[in-house]
Amino acid sequence: MNSINKSIAESLCRIVGEDFVIEDLDKKQSYLYDQVMETVRPAANENSIVVKPSCTDEISKIMRLANDNAVPVVVRGGGTGLSGGAIPVRESIVMSMERLNNILEVDRANMVAVLEPGVTLADIIEEMDNHQGIWFPAHPGDEGAHIGGMAATNAGGSRAVKHGVMRKHIQGMEVVLANGEVVNLGGKLVKDNAGYNLMNLIIGSDGTLAVITKVILRLYPEEKYSGTIIASFESLTDASAACLEIIASGSVPLAVEYQDRDLWRGTARMVGRKWQLEKGDADIMIIVSEPDEEKFYSTCRRIYEVCKKNKACEQYFAGKKSEQADLLKIRSQMYEFSRQRTSHAFDMAVPVGQIAAFLGDLRKLFAKYDTTTNITAHVADGNIHNDILLINGKTAPYVEELKTEMYALCFSYGGTITGEHGVGKLRRKDLTKQKSETELALMRGIKHTFDPKGILNPDTLLESTCLV
Amino acid sequence: MNIIVLIKEVPDMERVRFDRARGVIDRISSEGEINPLDLWALQSAVDIKNRHGGCVTAMSMGPERSIASLRDAFARGADNCILLSDRRFAGSDTYATSRVLAGAISRMNPDLIICGEKTVDGDTAQVGAEVAELLDIPHSYYVESIDSMEDSGVVVTVSDICGSKQQRRMKLPALIAVNRSIAYPLLPALERKLESISLNVQKMGISELSGVVGENDAGLNGSPTKVSKIVIPDIVKRKGKIFQNDGSDNFINAFKTAVQRRPGHE
Amino acid sequence: MSNWDGVMILAETRGDSIHPVSYELLGKGRELADQLGCRLDCLMLCENTHASAELNYYGADTVYAMCSESFKHPEEGLYKSNIVPFIQERKPGIVLVGATNFGRSLAPRVAAALHTGLTADCTALSVGADGRLVQIRPAFSDNILAHITTNSYPQMATVRHGEFSAPPRDPSRKANVIEVPLIALQYAQSAIIGSTVRQARDIAEADVIVACGRGVKSPEDIAIAQRLAELLGGQVGFSRALVDAGMADASCQVGYSGVRVRPRLYIACGISGAPQHLAGMKESGTIIAVNHDASAPIFGVCDIGYTGDLYDILPRLIKELEAGL
Repeated sequence: MNSINKSIAESLCRIVGEDFVIEDLDKKQSYLYDQVMETVRPAANENSIVVKPSCTDEISKIMRLANDNAVPVVVRGGGTGLSGGAIPVRESIVMSMERLNNILEVDRANMVAVLEPGVTLADIIEEMDNHQGIWFPAHPGDEGAHIGGMAATNAGGSRAVKHGVMRKHIQGMEVVLANGEVVNLGGKLVKDNAGYNLMNLIIGSDGTLAVITKVILRLYPEEKYSGTIIASFESLTDASAACLEIIASGSVPLAVEYQDRDLWRGTARMVGRKWQLEKGDADIMIIVSEPDEEKFYSTCRRIYEVCKKNKACEQYFAGKKSEQADLLKIRSQMYEFSRQRTSHAFDMAVPVGQIAAFLGDLRKLFAKYDTTTNITAHVADGNIHNDILLINGKTAPYVEELKTEMYALCFSYGGTITGEHGVGKLRRKDLTKQKSETELALMRGIKHTFDPKGILNPDTLLESTCLV
Repeated sequence: MNIIVLIKEVPDMERVRFDRARGVIDRISSEGEINPLDLWALQSAVDIKNRHGGCVTAMSMGPERSIASLRDAFARGADNCILLSDRRFAGSDTYATSRVLAGAISRMNPDLIICGEKTVDGDTAQVGAEVAELLDIPHSYYVESIDSMEDSGVVVTVSDICGSKQQRRMKLPALIAVNRSIAYPLLPALERKLESISLNVQKMGISELSGVVGENDAGLNGSPTKVSKIVIPDIVKRKGKIFQNDGSDNFINAFKTAVQRRPGHE
Repeated sequence: MSNWDGVMILAETRGDSIHPVSYELLGKGRELADQLGCRLDCLMLCENTHASAELNYYGADTVYAMCSESFKHPEEGLYKSNIVPFIQERKPGIVLVGATNFGRSLAPRVAAALHTGLTADCTALSVGADGRLVQIRPAFSDNILAHITTNSYPQMATVRHGEFSAPPRDPSRKANVIEVPLIALQYAQSAIIGSTVRQARDIAEADVIVACGRGVKSPEDIAIAQRLAELLGGQVGFSRALVDAGMADASCQVGYSGVRVRPRLYIACGISGAPQHLAGMKESGTIIAVNHDASAPIFGVCDIGYTGDLYDILPRLIKELEAGL
């Protein structure tokens, strides 16, 4: 592995201008980590150098420089990731995409937007407000996320119930390969069956295969009428049965979210709001969106009736934009709330019909260790976030053992270690427990084909072999 | 305790767009909603009712489409809804609006009238005090809590007037405009929301109000102020003027100018 | 032509002092009176007349002072009962009131009693070709500016503090204060039963925010930002980094995960501008950024930026503002 010598720093300055190369540790601090909690995150290498290119051409030159000198490159988006993907664990060039933040085109006829990778989710939402009748429905969480990062990590989020994960929303990309070559993949095409789909390999590759420099994003007819229902049930089994019945009825909600009540309450308090549900024991949030008013209220009525039939205790309705935004904020800030008392956070997913049984077993497992776990779940797509709590502010001694048992339980239900956050640097070893050696060998082969010197985000997703 | 809550339907200010060429609001750009600050007024009325008993009436003056906001008020706990609507009310300024509202209220013998801090579209905060004056009843603005409520009078805390917090006792009937400390607006029950969608809202126009509101009291005829012109200011783009540490006073001067200027000031 | 003429300013007083908006109104009132060729009167309801000549020095021809202990606490009913008959007798063509919290509550009550129009929060006032007052005010969250005229008398308007600048004080002007007797001694329907000085406000309501980020190194240094905020009549806010570091309370955190703010003036000190921070403040009126990193994203959303050491520039700004007091 090569370190970043003075001549590389000078070359970077020549490419992007010295204002956009940062070596001072103070100024670099905010570019070294993502949102992974401190207890589990790997340490960043503070000798890394931050560079902020402004266009594809500069990125291509940076990659050529890095490849020639075998220097690792860690591409950085909004820094909102939850798997350590953006942390430079070796001495690396951290390439921040913040200056590539232009919305290049909104093409109504083809229902796509062409975006630079540094455009944030908030930018997209704001831009869509200027276009009557179209929107981008996915909402993976923090609105500071960059579209490039959302693509590289195949972000999910609560609205995947109705609209699927990022993979479904990306039609084309411009990428820069490890050697600096620029390649266009996909396009404004709805159908494209020409050969291997390389774009889909790059989506979800955590920045290990190529640098994404442009994204062609799918847009959808706006579902103008939206509302959020919160409902409480006597038990999670009742709540889960209601969710399955709602989906089977054909009225697919945008999102269905479960959280333990103290998480709803605590996060609400943290953001200065009140959690209104008091009766019962299992609270869910259902977001409904429909293109017309009549359909919207008939969906709400069906949900009301299904919940009532499944013994819902209370049901409230948020229709105003601000009220819906408040509830969404309570949901999306939960991580901020729970991270203070958590050492390890998980992202398992199981088949949706098994979720209540799985969560029941999971709680029993935690009870065996004489502890509890916070649970939040996208109930309608089987994705669960639970955590291991800190004990007196310290990581519990049984963490590894408990984790092994959790994953074994998850696999017994046909589940996966990560539903949406991705492998990143955090779950690299765990991946080997889930995937067969054959599958892992194929993955390593793909990595080698794209990036023979292994300079793109080493130690991510797979064990690095080349740079060591 | 009979309480009237005054509400207004306003465009969603986050989404509303302006037709710059014609100088009018593009109504299609945004659905109407209850003036956000009125939610605190409504919730405080419902809280009083829950504590002391009585009846909450939501009253609004506006075009037919304001029915949607009154239905929402019903979902949020109002017992009755009244829409004051008439083509001849169109173009009313705050004084004319207050005449119509005061006229309708004078027939109902309420104990308390509650309104929000202001509306987010007109932004004048005038109608409450004007209604109180026309009804010849006391009023308080900036009310952050209702400390006691008896037949003889109401004690309220006024959050900020001339740098002080005041406690006042007012005889009933009285009018209060509340701020956001007064209550926590709750989400309506889904069942009541679904019920409200087809609710029949009582409507009153000039003829129903004859005797208390005359033909010349409302609309453009009854309005002492006239809008002679609407100007849409240019959207101010951020200038993004960056100064370096060059030893000069350039930044300090720019800073001083900027902190003195107020937006909208000619 | 009506028999209502002259300009009258309703001054706001508290104890011995006069609210500065009264001087600002006198400056604008003088302009209008000179244009119309009429008198500029000032009415003050006060506990004592100690400061009343000041109103002359700032432009009033005559100051009418109603003096009473009962004006110690502001109460709209009592004020109105005294102001309305006085206006009916003096018949000023124009009445201007400061849009302070009290003025915003009192003025509509007075206008309704006089059955006249009132225009709130004017940002510009001028005399039209027909001699009427042209009142300009923003509406729809400052999206439009309405030009408004009033066809009844007096033509009444309120103006916010800071909208117009106060004229220079001219002590060579003649002090001319006429004490007038109270018309109503009490207002039976409402009584003030207690009054205390107010506590600090919620950051979401602040008119000016000085925000500190990672560039502010220690809790003691926050005092510098605090002083700047104080001078600008604002409050201090924080980025998530400082809240996470335990240097500030979460209730003052600006950002997507904190409080979303929209003050008139936002001064970002040592804040790089993470997307989640920008989401919480980018709709502020004027944004000023100070940061030593020229490539910090905060400079992409600011009106005025300064690249350099905040420990060098903030004290200089504070000195300038203190000198201007």
